[in-house]
Amino acid sequence: MSTATALGKGGAPRAGRREVRLWTCACVLAVVLAAVLLVPLLHPLDEQAVDMANKLHAPSAAHPFGTDDVGRDVLLRCVYGLRVSLLVGVVAALTATVIGTAVGAAAGAAGGRTDRMVMRVVDVFSSVPHLLLGIFIVAMFRPGVWPVVVSVGLTHWLSTARIVRAEVLSLRSRDFVDAAVSGGASRLRVAVRHLLPGVLPQAGLAAVLMVPHAIWHESALSFLGLGLPTHRASLGNMIQDARGTLLAGDWWPTLFPGLFLIVPTLAIAGLAGVWRERINPRRRSELML
Amino acid sequence: MSADTLTPETVAGPPAAAHPLLSVRELTVRFRMRGGREVAAVTDVGLDLAPGECLALVGESGCGKSVLASALLGLLPGNAHVSGSAVLRGPGEADGLDLLTADEATLARTVRGRRVGLVPQSPAAHLTPVRTVRSQLAETVRELTGARGEELRAATLTAAGRAAFPADHLDRYPHQLSGGLAQRAATALALVGDAPLLLADEPTTGLDRDLVDRTVDELRAHTDEGRGLLIITHDLAAAERVADRVAVMYAGRIVELAPAPDFFGTPGPRHPYARGLLEALPERSFTPIPGMPPELGDLPAGCAFAPRCDRAADVCATVPQLTGGVACHRPLTAAAGEGPAARREGSRV
Amino acid sequence: MTPPRTRHTGPAGGAGPHALELRDITAGYDRRAPVLRGVSLSLREGEAVGLLGPSGCGKSTLAKVAALLHRPDAGTVHLGGEPARGFRHRAPRAQRTAVGVVFQSPRLAADPRLTLSALIAEPLLATGRKAGAADRTRELARAVGLGPDLLGRRPHEVSDGQLQRACVARALALRPRVLVCDEMTAMLDASTTAALVAVVEDYRARSGAALLAVGHDRTLLERWCDRTVELHGGGTDSALRSAPRAAAGTSAG
Repeated sequence: MSTATALGKGGAPRAGRREVRLWTCACVLAVVLAAVLLVPLLHPLDEQAVDMANKLHAPSAAHPFGTDDVGRDVLLRCVYGLRVSLLVGVVAALTATVIGTAVGAAAGAAGGRTDRMVMRVVDVFSSVPHLLLGIFIVAMFRPGVWPVVVSVGLTHWLSTARIVRAEVLSLRSRDFVDAAVSGGASRLRVAVRHLLPGVLPQAGLAAVLMVPHAIWHESALSFLGLGLPTHRASLGNMIQDARGTLLAGDWWPTLFPGLFLIVPTLAIAGLAGVWRERINPRRRSELML
Repeated sequence: MSADTLTPETVAGPPAAAHPLLSVRELTVRFRMRGGREVAAVTDVGLDLAPGECLALVGESGCGKSVLASALLGLLPGNAHVSGSAVLRGPGEADGLDLLTADEATLARTVRGRRVGLVPQSPAAHLTPVRTVRSQLAETVRELTGARGEELRAATLTAAGRAAFPADHLDRYPHQLSGGLAQRAATALALVGDAPLLLADEPTTGLDRDLVDRTVDELRAHTDEGRGLLIITHDLAAAERVADRVAVMYAGRIVELAPAPDFFGTPGPRHPYARGLLEALPERSFTPIPGMPPELGDLPAGCAFAPRCDRAADVCATVPQLTGGVACHRPLTAAAGEGPAARREGSRV
Repeated sequence: MTPPRTRHTGPAGGAGPHALELRDITAGYDRRAPVLRGVSLSLREGEAVGLLGPSGCGKSTLAKVAALLHRPDAGTVHLGGEPARGFRHRAPRAQRTAVGVVFQSPRLAADPRLTLSALIAEPLLATGRKAGAADRTRELARAVGLGPDLLGRRPHEVSDGQLQRACVARALALRPRVLVCDEMTAMLDASTTAALVAVVEDYRARSGAALLAVGHDRTLLERWCDRTVELHGGGTDSALRSAPRAAAGTSAG
C-alpha cells in the first residue's frame, strides 16, 4: 500500500477535537428537540391571542426573551416557530432526498441515453435560481405548511441526484459488481445489496445537510410573506414582524428568533460534518497493512 | 538487543557501509487499536544503507514493510508509536538527522523530496489528475530549487530527462499516460530534489514484466549515480534484478539480511521462511509455504514463523535474534539446502 | 529455453468439445477504437490456457468477454458448445454462473461492506441456494486456507492475500465449468501465488473445469497452464500466438 497517506502526526488530537464537536452538537440538538417536543405539551400556545397591555417588554424573569409588538411571549413563540421550522425542514429534506436518490440512482443504473436525458433535465432545473422557483411554487397555493414543504422539496433534489448518480456510476464500474453479476445476482439484487448500501450514507448525509438549508428556506419564504400564514409562530414570520420594532431599538424580538434559527442549524451541520468524516474515511490510516 | 548484533555490515556490508547514508536501529512501530489491542507492525528492525547501494525489503503483504517505509517518511497515523532511530547522514555529516524524532516541519521542509525521494506505489494516484505532467514537475522544481522563468523551464526539462520521461509527453495529463510513463513521471518528481536517498514503495505493482524490468533498471541507474535506494517489493524477480542486498521481513521483523547474489544464488536463503518464499516462485518448485502469516496483533510467542516451519524445535519458543544475517535458531546451510542455484539455472530444461 | 511458437490457427488440436470458444471477438469501450479486433480463442474441456500480453493490449477485456461480463461489438462466445445468449444480466443465469471470475485487485473485487463469509456465500445466496450455504461456505473457506477466525472480518481487516483467497473461494462457489483468472496473482507474494494456483489446480483436477489465466508473468503462466497464448497490440492486428506448455519436468522437485 501507499505510504503517501496524507495524515500527519496530529491524528490523535484531531480526533479529540472531533469528539468535542460531536458531543457539543449532539447536546445542543438534544436540548432543542426536547424543547420543541415537550414545551407545547406543558404550555399550549394560542397563536391568535394578543396582549396589548404587555407589548414590547424587554427580557425579564416573566418573559426571558421579552414580548413582541402585540405582547406575545417571544420565547414561547420561538419554540413553536422552531417546531414548525424543524418539521418543514425535515420533511422537505426527506422529500428532496427521496426524489434525488431515485432520480440519481435510476440515471446512474440505466446509463446511456436515459442517463443523458435525465441529467439534462437536472441541468435545466439547476439553471433556475431555486429560491425563485420555490417562490413560484408556493405562490400557486394558499399559504400553509405543505406548500412550503412541497416548494422546498421540489427545488432541492437536484444536488442529491447528482451526488447519487456519480456514486452509482463509480460503484457500477467496480469489479465487485462484475463479480456479483458473474455469481448470478439479478439486477435487483445488485442494486439492493451492492449499489444502494454504498449510496445510502451519501444520500443520508445529503439529507441531513439539507435540513438546515430547508429551514432557512422556510424562513426566507415566510419572511417574504409567501410561506406560512402570518399569524403562525414561525421563525421567518417573527423576524419579519419584528423589523419595525428593531428600528425603534427593541432588539429582542429579532435577535432571539435569529439565534433559534442559527444555533440548531449549526448543530445539525456540525453533526453532518462528523458523519461525513466517518463515511469518507481515511480510515485506512488506522492500520496501514 | 544490542546494536552490535543488528549491525548489518558485520554480515554483508558493502564496501561503503562504513559511512552509511541511512542507519536504522531497533526501529519498532506499534499501533494502538480500539479496545486496547496492540499491533506489532514493525519490531526491532536494524539496517544500513550506503550511497550507491540498493537494499530490497521483501515480504508478504501485511508483513509490515510499508509501515517501515511510512515510519521513515514520518507519515504514520496518530495511533502509531515509534521507537528506535533512523539516522540520515549526509556526506561528512557527523550527527545526521533522526527521521523518527524530527518534527513535521523539518520533515516537510528539509527531508521529503530534498533528502528522501519517494517513488510511489501507484504513480497514477500520486499524480494530480487535473494538471499536466509539466505543470506538476515545474511546481516541484520551483518548490525545491527556487528556479523561475526560463531557468525553471530548462530545469523542468532536465528533471524529466533524468527519469527518461519523453519531453513531448510533458503536456499530457496523467490519465493519458501509459503505466510505464506514469511511473517515470512519478520517478521524475522523486528525483527533482536530488535526494541522496530514494525510497521506492512497491514501484512495480501492476506493471507488466517488461515495464517492471525497465522501471527497476532505471532505479538501478539512479542508484549507480551514488544514491541509496531502499526498494520495498513483494516481487522477488524485481528484487533480484535491482538489489545489492536483500532484507526479508516476516511478521514485522527482519528475518534475513543477505547479499543478493548469495540470497538468489549460492548458498541461497538460510532462513526457512526466506527459502520457502523463494522456492514458491514458479521458476523454482512453485510450492507455497503452508499456512498463512500470523496476525500482527496476535503474534505467537517465540519465533513467529515456527508454526509454519518444518524445522521448528523446542528452541524456537524464544524469539531468535538477527545474528550473522539470519534470525533463526536452526538456519539452513548451503549443504542442507538442495542446491537452489543449480535448480534455478536448470529450471527450464 | 523458450519453446518455439507456432501461429495459432483455430482451436488447438484435440477432439473434445470446447469449454469456451471465442470467435472473431471485436470489443472495447469505444466502437470507433476497439481494443480487440477479430480475436479467436478456444479452451477444450479441462484445458488451462495462459493469455499473455503487455499492459493495455486488451487481455482483460477479452477475459471479461469470456466471462460474459462485457458485450463485444462483434463476434460470438460459446460455452460448452452453446452460444452465449447475452452478456451481463442479459445472459441466462446458468450461463453466467458457468464461468467463475477472479480479478486482479481483491480490494476492488470485494464489496467492502460484506464479511468474508458473506462474500464467499454471495453467489450461493444470489442463486437461491440458501440451504447448505453455511456448510458450503466453510468448505470453500477451508479449501482456500481461510480459518474461521478470518471469516467474520470485513475486507479492510485482512491482507490482500487473505482477501484474494476469499475471492477465489467465491469464484468456485457455484462450481463453474470455466475459470477466468484475470491477473489473479499480480499483487501477491510468491508463496500466496503458489498457494492460490494450487487451490485452482486442485479444483480443476476434481471438477475438470477449464481455465483461462490472464497475466503478464510468462514464467508463471508457462508453469501453470497447458499452453500459453500471446495477445499482441490489440487494435488493428490483434493476433494470438500460441505456445504449448514448456516441456514437462519444469518442476525442480
